[in-house]
Amino acid sequence: MTSTIATNRAEIFRPLFAAATHDASAAMCRWTDGLITLTLDEVREIPLHSVASELGFGDDLLTMVILGVESDPGTVLILTFDEENARQLAATLTRRVRNTSPEWDELEISALTETGNILGCAYMNALTRLLGRAIIPSPPYFVRDYFASVIQQALVEQAAASDVALIGRTGFHREGEALNWHVLFVPSPEFRRMLENAIAVKPNS
Amino acid sequence: MHTLANAEATSVKGQVINVGMGQIATGDRSTQFTSVLGSCVAVVLWHPRLSLGAIAHVVLPKSHGQNGQPGKFADTAIPTMLEQLARMGCPKPGLVAKIAGGANMFRVGGPLQIGDDNIATVREILKTVGIPITAEDVGGTQGRKITFTCSTGELRIEVAGQKAKVI
Repeated sequence: MTSTIATNRAEIFRPLFAAATHDASAAMCRWTDGLITLTLDEVREIPLHSVASELGFGDDLLTMVILGVESDPGTVLILTFDEENARQLAATLTRRVRNTSPEWDELEISALTETGNILGCAYMNALTRLLGRAIIPSPPYFVRDYFASVIQQALVEQAAASDVALIGRTGFHREGEALNWHVLFVPSPEFRRMLENAIAVKPNS
Repeated sequence: MHTLANAEATSVKGQVINVGMGQIATGDRSTQFTSVLGSCVAVVLWHPRLSLGAIAHVVLPKSHGQNGQPGKFADTAIPTMLEQLARMGCPKPGLVAKIAGGANMFRVGGPLQIGDDNIATVREILKTVGIPITAEDVGGTQGRKITFTCSTGELRIEVAGQKAKVI
């Protein structure tokens, strides 16, 4: 289901999100020996009450790596992975056989958090360049939980200001094939203003 | 499963209603409410004799006079729930409350740590309006998937990697 709310208004942010995705994709390509690339899927404003379902996650339990922004705790970048492919990525990066235990071991978690770190740093370095302001990611951490539980806390600052949420979603591809992995960039209202200033767009225009 | 089409308070019969962020729903003995919670708090008001219930998916403690979805803020959600229930013929005397959620999902400091404030404000407002909390499952660092059954007053709580419980 796609919300009809202000799709065009959110689209004005596409050039910035696309540039950040481009840099993140280059970093991921290097990190995975050319295996994985990224493309910007969408930039949307979504009604708060239906964010998880409109992003296609519903009540799903997901594997996630979360990074904040040091100077702006309300801005969050979330990497989401389906279990199968997250395990496979960890196995590839650690050059081991895929772990079949229900529990994630430390090496697997380390591989995914490092992936988040590399991707997040590249994404935020691009935003630093585009916004002319240092955007420093916080250390990444690994979570397995309901996506809806995580996204709702990421949206707290946006929720204080609006009944809709601005989210940029990036998809992953392995050798051209789309994977069920995503990067969700959730800016705080303050960060959104920085984005608007960078593209000289007045709020609500 | 039925999902509320918008953020308005809604009353339905014979449905499983998925209640998203900031939404309020009401229902009768044939209704179940479901929701997934992180830092948000679900407030359930239930009348045991009438088997009528209401739920709010509270995102933030206080509205500070802001307009918006009444269910988003604890201080506007609970009065709205009481109004909705009253319109269904459900009086405030006899109502009991169950609450769940208010986790701290992120291991970082700062203003995102809203779960504790949500819990405290919901407790305070329920105390002010004289509705006893008969059960709660709040705090922690993990999300919760909840189902409330209006016919029995049971609140089922699922946490990833744990056995489900009913309060």
